[in-house]
Amino acid sequence: MRRITYQEALVEAIREEMSRDKRVFILGQDVGMFGGFQQSTKGLWEEFGAAGRVVDTPISETAMVGSCIGAAMMGARPIVEVMAGAFLPNAASPIANDAANVWYYTVGKAKAPMVIRTKYGWGPYQDSSQNWEAWFVHVPGLKVVMPSTPYDAKGLMKAAIRDDNPVLFFEHMYLYHGVRGEVPEEDYTVPIGVAEVKRPGKDVTVVAAALMMHRTLNVAKELSKEGVEVEIVDPRTLAPLDEETILDSLKKTGRLVVVHEGWKTGSVSGEISARIAEDGFQYLRAPIVRVGAPHMPFPFAVPFQKAFVPHEPRIKEAVRKVLAY
Amino acid sequence: MNLSQEDLLAMYRYMVVAREMDRAICKATGKWHPTSGEEGAIVGMYYRLREEDVIAPHYRGSIIGYYMRGASLHKILAGILGKETGYNRGRIISKCGPPEFNAVGWLHSNVGPQIYLGTGAALASKVMGKNYVTLVSFGDGTSNRGEFHESINMAAVLNLPVVYVCQNNQYAISMAACRGLGCHTVADRAAGYGIPGMEVDGNDVLAVHQAVRGAMERAREGNGPTLIDARTFRVGGHWIADPEVYRTREEAEEWKKRDPILLFEKKLMERGDLTEGDRERIRLAAEEEVSLALKQAEADPLPGEELLGADDIFAPSPAGR
Repeated sequence: MRRITYQEALVEAIREEMSRDKRVFILGQDVGMFGGFQQSTKGLWEEFGAAGRVVDTPISETAMVGSCIGAAMMGARPIVEVMAGAFLPNAASPIANDAANVWYYTVGKAKAPMVIRTKYGWGPYQDSSQNWEAWFVHVPGLKVVMPSTPYDAKGLMKAAIRDDNPVLFFEHMYLYHGVRGEVPEEDYTVPIGVAEVKRPGKDVTVVAAALMMHRTLNVAKELSKEGVEVEIVDPRTLAPLDEETILDSLKKTGRLVVVHEGWKTGSVSGEISARIAEDGFQYLRAPIVRVGAPHMPFPFAVPFQKAFVPHEPRIKEAVRKVLAY
Repeated sequence: MNLSQEDLLAMYRYMVVAREMDRAICKATGKWHPTSGEEGAIVGMYYRLREEDVIAPHYRGSIIGYYMRGASLHKILAGILGKETGYNRGRIISKCGPPEFNAVGWLHSNVGPQIYLGTGAALASKVMGKNYVTLVSFGDGTSNRGEFHESINMAAVLNLPVVYVCQNNQYAISMAACRGLGCHTVADRAAGYGIPGMEVDGNDVLAVHQAVRGAMERAREGNGPTLIDARTFRVGGHWIADPEVYRTREEAEEWKKRDPILLFEKKLMERGDLTEGDRERIRLAAEEEVSLALKQAEADPLPGEELLGADDIFAPSPAGR
């Protein structure tokens, strides 16, 4: 099968959905002739620009996201691009206060089918890479996805565009051009809310998404040489969380490590750990261990970043810790 | 603008019903943001919109807009009382626009979101090749918020079919507009976006109507947005229990002399379009309509816990769980 990058997979998904459904349009800063920050909309302007379906906007995150909610309520299916994760809080109110509430408050008479995509995480743009996903996982009425592979990126993007709810789509900056993978040419979707076991194992369950999934894979390969088999569960969707797949894995291994790129306080890793402790305590043979960023602002210098973003040695240490208990 | 006598009397009736609704809600709930004194701006902007046009209303006066678009007074009032018979079945107060009347907005108590939601409705009109125009309204205080600036600038550069009306009642709770705005009027701000800005007497229902309709047709023809500053006055408090220590009683008394209903009555009578008899008949009918709807709403049940809808937060979707 052909191998394409994460970025190519995302753009392909959007192109295919825009061809399939005329109600879909994309809006954001530099999404037009420029082709999107990190080539996130490459080629879309050439194909759909003349029809007015690739809309370049001024730097106005609140109005960009907010207006897409209004457009979605009137029957369009917008994709809005918030260039980088650091800019997402500018649109926090429209996302959390408006988009998330449309269906419930109107008793299903209106809906907000839209995708809010953003590039986040450690990578080439150090000062733009904040991880704000935990804020949005907190909000009822939002779906939050975070793919790790090109296959998942394309399938989840197509599912997100077809979903009748607001979907927050976190695209990892490093993975954008940093990972290639097999992606079929035929139409497929990856269901939202369904995790996947990315590597089977029997000794320890590690839950890890996006870049952390890849780093955990590296660790798993090394530990395998020592006879330790790590099972990696990639949640793929952070909300609604597929707790069942994590619990199924835990029943087998009895040990859980949760690795997440962001901070631990009030976090995705905290939420996953708490839910598993509530619903799967009887399967745990050791306390849950979390790996995350230290509780401090995102630093700049290369050695600082290396120490800040969870990496292989820290993941390996966590796995050893739950095994040693 | 061709308004028949029938139109004029209909506008007058809406104003009287609006005043009566406001009085009844204040009495029934004890917590409400009164609209009294602002009916000229409200009825003027919402009157005779096209059915396909969309409204994204300011919370103060939103229910009058829904009523004028055909929403049931009983259901609106039931929604204000949190009854299960309201449009939103107790999930949110009736300020949240019923979508079946082409209303978007008011999903929470922030004062500016209807500006971006309405701008987005206009964006959908353009992207999907429709012919409808969106009417957005808000207060003077809201014109200081970021979404006002971002949305209107974006609508201007994208040339969207939308009209922005400031229902300028000159107070943002205790902050007088003259202290809260760096410029003289909200209309002055239009220059910053390169769109027309107009000032209109918000207590003159016909002047507001004419300005808004003109701007709506201008937008429909593809000429982009207009910002209208309809200067009126909040004769009551921000909410019922507002002590109003921040302004003089005389200021409100002066404005009461320019009550939009009195001004319109006078004009209609001078023109021979309204008689004393009509006035009395319309007032009594409004009182009866409102009191009947309120009685019905008060008799309706509160929603039981089984209607909470905790599992009804997502639209069913083909893909995924």
